Amino acid sequence: MATFDGLFDTFGLRGWCGEGKTDGPMTMAELLAKAKGGAEETAWWDIPFPSLDNLNKACGAIPRTRDMTEGVANAFLDIKDKLKFVLDPLTQPLSYILDYSLSFFVGMPWWLLILLILALSFYASRSVLVTIFVAVCFLFFGFIDHYSFAVQTLSIIAVCTFISVLLGVPIGIAMSKYDWFQRANIPVLDMLQTLPTFVYLIPLIFLFSVTESKLYGIAIILYAIVPVIRLTDLGIRLVDKDVIEAADAFGMSSRQKLFGVEIPLALPNIMAGINQTIMMSLAMVVIASLVSAPGLGVLVLRGIRNLELGVGLIAGFCIVLLAVILDRVSKASLSRINAAQG
Amino acid sequence: MHKTLLGLAGATFGAMLMTSVSSTSAEAACGEVTITEMNWASSAVVTAVSKFIMEQGYGCSVTKVPSATLPAVTSVAETGKPDIVTELWINSAPVYKELEAEGKVVKLADVLSDGGVEAWFVPNYLIEKHPELATLEGILANPALVGGKFHNCPVGWGCRVINDNNITARGLRDVKGLEVFDHGSGETMATSIAAAYSDKAPWFGYYWAPTSVLGKYPMTAVDIGPYDADAHTCNTKDDCASPKASSYPPSEVITFTTTAFKESNPDIAALMSNVSFTNAQMGEVLAWQEDNKASADEAAVYFLNKYKDAWSGWLNDEAKGKLAALLNG
Repeated sequence: MATFDGLFDTFGLRGWCGEGKTDGPMTMAELLAKAKGGAEETAWWDIPFPSLDNLNKACGAIPRTRDMTEGVANAFLDIKDKLKFVLDPLTQPLSYILDYSLSFFVGMPWWLLILLILALSFYASRSVLVTIFVAVCFLFFGFIDHYSFAVQTLSIIAVCTFISVLLGVPIGIAMSKYDWFQRANIPVLDMLQTLPTFVYLIPLIFLFSVTESKLYGIAIILYAIVPVIRLTDLGIRLVDKDVIEAADAFGMSSRQKLFGVEIPLALPNIMAGINQTIMMSLAMVVIASLVSAPGLGVLVLRGIRNLELGVGLIAGFCIVLLAVILDRVSKASLSRINAAQG
Repeated sequence: MHKTLLGLAGATFGAMLMTSVSSTSAEAACGEVTITEMNWASSAVVTAVSKFIMEQGYGCSVTKVPSATLPAVTSVAETGKPDIVTELWINSAPVYKELEAEGKVVKLADVLSDGGVEAWFVPNYLIEKHPELATLEGILANPALVGGKFHNCPVGWGCRVINDNNITARGLRDVKGLEVFDHGSGETMATSIAAAYSDKAPWFGYYWAPTSVLGKYPMTAVDIGPYDADAHTCNTKDDCASPKASSYPPSEVITFTTTAFKESNPDIAALMSNVSFTNAQMGEVLAWQEDNKASADEAAVYFLNKYKDAWSGWLNDEAKGKLAALLNG
């Protein structure tokens, strides 16, 4: 006797429910009741919540929760082919860029690559101290045989940050220009930052092949693109209204205003966003390795799975070092821009 | 009206008190037991069935510890907890043998009495279309038919080392058009099988049974040659000097406990040394679970209802008495 039988009888819905109730699987609670000898009458204080599962016991026409989740799965599988037709070619370049960048970084001789990285970090930061720090770190990676892993991770981060900035800055600008666009986007950005990665990665495996590198690329970009969008939007909105008025007075077109006034003035904020984007893509390195991204994340996973504490700790420390390098270099270039504006 | 409600509440409160008192006195005999629940379907069923019997038949208070193979073994080695680890695939936790030799742990039972199956698999629909894919030679000759990829275990899994050595031995990496793809996690392995099945696409890689994945998506084990004990022992090592091809032996899948727990709880140890499933039983339960989209608990209930003859033999007389209503029902 299910608890909610009376409900359906009262409203005369028995016919709609169908006399032949579907017998769902016996639950643990029912078995316990049986083991104690005979079903007990449900007392009024532990009346169950009228959930789909509980209602289904009384009325077979109401789907169970597992039928609902199954329905979601089937709906996804039904539209899968169409989604794939659109999304697969659209995202294919990401796979190519990630693969080419990886083979470029890994294929280059170590001394040349380190020199290039040093030159780049000096160009960005204009700080001898930071450059020396970068050199020490990379020599350390090489010395403990983590160089190739660190470089793979660096390659992935470089590509993902580049694409995040390429897409994120225009989206941020559009958000600052159109209020409705901002209102529509903010919930999406919130969701991207909180949705557990595997929730969207598993459906993605159905769309693309698990063997494609774009899978981890998408995972990283979706997570890391958020700060650059947010801070671009904020930066442009924070540009002094008086300055805009002055620009209007000079008769600047909106394009001139954007590139000549707003973006330069918002640059400190945009750079802070890029810095955060780099940090967040680094934070995704281990999760990306769960979908076959190479690099330091693989070592961390090996450490966790085999309980090789040392391997995990050293790989984790290398990720931290990489984060400090990227943070110092981007921060130094940020303060240079700030100083130039001040 | 108020009075009757109050009276009712008072009576039930009293009743609740009584039952909690009686259950504590029963627990005194057995006490707290912690048992692992590994992160795959058959293990969840084993754990749910054991928990039910221990609680209802032996009056234990059982806590499930969600875990995975290596964390569970390490935790037992370092802290002596959880008390019972079930569905340990020894192949993937060689450190277990060391613990057993040190006398820290005792094996209680082969929880899957027929042993587990590990192999390189190809989906059934692929074999039906191309029967030559049933052997590794056939696959190496036509890598395009299996999609040009071998799906390998994630780093850190026991099977990864064994696969890598077998791959070297059979020269899989030298075959033109065949790529060895290293997965990042078990989840992506399972999903890649499901995705291949939904498109009837080719798939070739490592997997194991009994699992709900293989229950739902039937696959055929590829013949990769005979089992060679010496070669396999070498293949399990990272630094195997000269890997030789060998198929997987039937995997020993066991329940073990700490030596201390066995001494302090001989009844529970005796029970758990009886808890053992044949592959036919487990396969049937997992298939039922998949068909009915049931939870592990419901699958355990299904087992307890359907295979009374099997599990009544596990119990001692006292527990049989306590569970009589269910056994004779």
